[in-house]
Amino acid sequence: MDPQADSSISFLPHLEAKIRQTHNLARLLTKYAEQLLEEYVQQQGDPFGMPGFSPPRLSLAGLSGPSPSHAGLPLSERLRLDAAALGALPALLDAVRRHQAELNPRSPRLQRSLEEAARQARALGAAVETVLAALGSAARGPGPEHSATTALSTANSAASIFSAKVLGLQVCGLYGEWVNRTEGDLSQLVHGGVA
Amino acid sequence: MDVYSGWKQPSWMVDSKRMRMTLNLPWLLSALTLLHLTIQAHSLKRGAAQDLKCTTKNMHVWDCTWSASAGVSPGTVKEVCIKDRLNSCHRLESTNIKIAALSPGDHEVTINYLNGFQNKFTLNEKDVSLIPDTPESLNLSADFSTSTLHLRWNDRGSAFPYPSNATWEIKVLQNPSMEPVKLVSFNTTLSGQDIVHHWNWTSDLPLQCAPHSVGIRWYIDHHRFSGYKVWSDWSLLKNISWTPNSETNVFPQDKVILAGSDITFCCVSQTKVLSGQIGRTFCPLIHLYGENVAIRIQNISVSENSGTNVVFTTEDNVYGTVVFAGYPPDVPQKLNCETHDFKEIICSWNPGRPTGLVGPRNTDYTLSESISGKSVAFKRFETLTNESYRLAFQMLPGQEIHNFTLTGRNPLGHAESAIFINITERVVPHVPVSLRVKDINSTVVALSWHLPGNFAKINLLCQVQICKASSEQEVRNATIKGAEGSSYLVAVDKLNPYTLYTFRVRCSTETFWKWSKWSNEKRHLTMEAIPSRGPDTWREWSSDGKNLIIYWKPLPINEANGKILSYNVSCSSNEETQSLSEILDPQHKAEIQLEKNDYIISVVAKNSAGSSPPSKIASMEIPNDDILVEQAVGMGKRIFLSWHPDPNMTCDYVIKWCNSSRSEPCLMDWIKVPSNSTETIIESDQFQPGVRYNFYLYGCTNQGYQLLRSIIGYIEELAPIVAPNFTVEDTSADSILVKWEDIPVEELRGFLRGYLFYFQKGERDTPKTRTFETGHSDIKLKNITDISQKTLRIADLQGKTSYHLVLRAYTHGGLGPEKSMFVVTKENSVGLIIAILIPVAVAVIVGVVTSILCYRKREWIKETFYPDIPNPENCKALQFQKSICEGSSALKTLEMNPCTPNNVEVLESRSIVPKIEDTEIISPVAERPGECSEADPENHVVVSYCPPIIEEEISNPAADEAGGTSQVVYIDVQSMYQPQAKPEEEQGIDPGVVAGYKPQMRLPINSAVEDTTAEDEADKTAGYRPQANVNTWNLVSPDSPRSTDSNSEIVSFGSPCSINSRQFLIPPKDEDSPKSNGGGWSFTNFFQNKPND
Repeated sequence: MDPQADSSISFLPHLEAKIRQTHNLARLLTKYAEQLLEEYVQQQGDPFGMPGFSPPRLSLAGLSGPSPSHAGLPLSERLRLDAAALGALPALLDAVRRHQAELNPRSPRLQRSLEEAARQARALGAAVETVLAALGSAARGPGPEHSATTALSTANSAASIFSAKVLGLQVCGLYGEWVNRTEGDLSQLVHGGVA
Repeated sequence: MDVYSGWKQPSWMVDSKRMRMTLNLPWLLSALTLLHLTIQAHSLKRGAAQDLKCTTKNMHVWDCTWSASAGVSPGTVKEVCIKDRLNSCHRLESTNIKIAALSPGDHEVTINYLNGFQNKFTLNEKDVSLIPDTPESLNLSADFSTSTLHLRWNDRGSAFPYPSNATWEIKVLQNPSMEPVKLVSFNTTLSGQDIVHHWNWTSDLPLQCAPHSVGIRWYIDHHRFSGYKVWSDWSLLKNISWTPNSETNVFPQDKVILAGSDITFCCVSQTKVLSGQIGRTFCPLIHLYGENVAIRIQNISVSENSGTNVVFTTEDNVYGTVVFAGYPPDVPQKLNCETHDFKEIICSWNPGRPTGLVGPRNTDYTLSESISGKSVAFKRFETLTNESYRLAFQMLPGQEIHNFTLTGRNPLGHAESAIFINITERVVPHVPVSLRVKDINSTVVALSWHLPGNFAKINLLCQVQICKASSEQEVRNATIKGAEGSSYLVAVDKLNPYTLYTFRVRCSTETFWKWSKWSNEKRHLTMEAIPSRGPDTWREWSSDGKNLIIYWKPLPINEANGKILSYNVSCSSNEETQSLSEILDPQHKAEIQLEKNDYIISVVAKNSAGSSPPSKIASMEIPNDDILVEQAVGMGKRIFLSWHPDPNMTCDYVIKWCNSSRSEPCLMDWIKVPSNSTETIIESDQFQPGVRYNFYLYGCTNQGYQLLRSIIGYIEELAPIVAPNFTVEDTSADSILVKWEDIPVEELRGFLRGYLFYFQKGERDTPKTRTFETGHSDIKLKNITDISQKTLRIADLQGKTSYHLVLRAYTHGGLGPEKSMFVVTKENSVGLIIAILIPVAVAVIVGVVTSILCYRKREWIKETFYPDIPNPENCKALQFQKSICEGSSALKTLEMNPCTPNNVEVLESRSIVPKIEDTEIISPVAERPGECSEADPENHVVVSYCPPIIEEEISNPAADEAGGTSQVVYIDVQSMYQPQAKPEEEQGIDPGVVAGYKPQMRLPINSAVEDTTAEDEADKTAGYRPQANVNTWNLVSPDSPRSTDSNSEIVSFGSPCSINSRQFLIPPKDEDSPKSNGGGWSFTNFFQNKPND
């Protein structure tokens, strides 16, 4: 379904409230994602977090960052991608948390933040799926989460600690990017799509 | 090599050849041949010495080689013979021969050639070189994770006589350099068997960073072989190289190293590496081969929890690794093992220096007990540094001796600590619980508590802490037979009745190690007992003597032994007994109507446990007429009293005290002092400084109390708060008699020590007399230390002078306030008379002398001042013809008719304003009658004597022009008065109110402008005003005293008084005429005492 193409869709008040609620959640998580990334970088030591330090992205099977090419997709399709990414992120964040629990056992705050981030990503993904269902568009299955988790587990077991750090950095970055993307898409839905 | 230098060619061989050539050939040919042979012989001799080599690989076979001499082909060798060996000639056709090893010593070796030449040599083992075969390494492997090379090889020791020492040398080459990065040698022993040896080497540079090659060689040293030991050749190099993969490019990966050590990181890259850094520090790149680079980190510091990141950056990627720098475990410190309950042993220790490693790299501890063989591992948990670790070890039944070893391990090493204990001597019981207290009697309680644990085999040592509510604490020990999980009971005695105690308990064992923690506190109030004594009692008769007031003090809590409920009071004599029962506790006073007989008063205190012993006192005192009142002064809130011992006083002493200003019966408090005391310090919060107290010392005999001393005293003396009230009793021209009164005791606030009397000249409005400054030369001071003196006569004063008198009382507490007054002494009459007579006499003498002179010089005076005036009738010029005069009516002579002028006009060229110098007489106020009426007669009472006014009015043109008449008032003031004494305190003087006489320093000018100015200034000054209203004058006789009016406190004398004045102007006829001084002569001007004259 394309809400922009089909302007005849009228949102029920509770749906509109749900969209706004989901949008608010996404906006809140955007802030939390920034704090998580900042805290993660702080716990990894230099040169993580230093200006100019930008390791190339490692490939995570099943999950990549939001692509600019998605801009041309219909909003519902974009939201489906958002929901799929948010569904894959909790497992990745849990894997990062487990690694950090071993690497930084005296930083329980980071572990709590990662744990909460996984829970929040799951909640936001579920909320987006609910919105999609209400709009008559079904989300994709849970495939990406499994594949992403497998990929990360494999990478963690084989890769060095440095690679695991970089992977964790990438996961935290992806979390922020997808939450931000979701917030933007929901914003479009709130301001343009609902009307 | 030296081994070749031992060969010798016997000289006899050359000589035999020369002899044979001489016999067979012609002499020329012979000579040439001889030369050739000689050269050849020399040539052979030289070549044999240089080319012969003998070596051995195993000391069993010698391999000797030599090179043929020039001109002799190698195939011309026929045989080699060794002289001292049977069948020792070896036929051969080459320059190489292997022979069995010869015995030590020289051996003659002969080499025969086919052409007949022969060489003889001496061969010795010392000249043989032992060169073992090149070793062959069996295997070279590498552990890339640890950058360690493992080399294996066989020594082939079975081929050598044994035991032999083998020295090995191994070299490691690092591509591309061919210089060994490691060259190491070590020794082994050949035991006659083939043995495989191992050698490990860890490279500083990760093995992944560059291919490594390893070579080995050796030599053998046998004690029976005296020849040369020569290194074998290097073995073939074995190579180790790493196959790069795409995952990892930086080495070493995730390594744990000792903090402070050096480490090299390398990056295997196909592209150019731009930078290498550790943390945020960039390091110089070391180029290895290809694009591989390395960085060298020296003295690496302890890492963060997540390790230290090492990052290499290429043009298109970032590669990194993490290194964990830390320390091996420190030796566990303060290892201590003890038990709380004989069920498990708790071992605790301090990990010591932090390792800097966490997580999987943290230290694992294992506690092993060697006797039982049991061990327990420490479950890793993340703790803060300097926190003690604890491990519980389950005890085995019956095992008392334990030998514990605690081992800590981490990737960097391990450390251990051991302890050997008898657990029965390391007991720290748990905290006693369920503490209970039960009364046995008023001084004994039973304490019980529960102690978990199995202490059946030992005795417990327990402490009971006893705390009173507000006093010190006491600890008592108790030894108890131990039991398993039992309750324990002890009795605590020697307690005080009706006292609140706090109990708590802790335990240890008889073989003391540590105390348990204190149990919870238990508060308990012991039972009551009868009061231990009667209350302190005193009695006073009422002021009318009809009632006896009995006082007693409440018993202290430690003697009351309970809550005092009531008191019983009884008075008994031989005839009767009166009782007052059940006086409830807050009341500590009873009054009984009695006749003044001897009674014995008994007071008993009662609590719930019973009554106290009675406290008795006799109602009457033993009289004592010899009582002196003494003085005493204390300090702070204490006063010290002492007395002489009196053997008659058998009971005790009682000191009672009260405020002296209170009415009888006066009793503030009393204390009892033992009979053997001769002094005491009385202290009370009720004492106040500056208050007089009466203290009475009573001695106790068998017949009763007797007053021994009466003392008045102060806790602290203060300065009086009032000044003595004093008056002037009498005043003369040179003395003043002053009288003062006593200060009341309440205001004295101390013992009066004297008076200070100051006086000096001064009037009330003189600033300097307002206060007395110490040290001022004019001030005279009298210190009156006789406090019974109440009067003081001040002599040698000046007459008709104002004096300022001040009187102050003082105690040891200081000076009291001052009281002052101003007194004027009477005038000295003799001086006055002299002052009158001298001018009169002078005037008479001057007059007489003048008269005499005038009389004697009268002729001269007459001619000079009054010459004869010619008669105009004798002047012809004035003779008129009668006919003319008489005949014509127009021609008339001046008729000198008497006429009265109604006006005289004086014509002068200078100012008509006369000079007036005496400003006291002429006042501009005369021109302002209105202002005079505004003068306040109450505040400015100037009483003066004014003689009758002589008023003379003369027409004055100038005054007329000014629109008014001038009057000159001649005033003669005679201040005949009595000195006035009006005591007044300094503080009461108001300079604004007491504005006395102020001389007018400005001459009046009769002009409108000047009048206005003068009027303004007159408003500003509160000085002298002309009295416009004569009726308001207070005409007092100069002889009358001036002390009646309280407001007219200013004694003024000699002041001119003026009224609405007119100026008397007489224009002088010439310059020599005396100037008018504006007023007449007055006594005031002549005798008036100026201040400080």
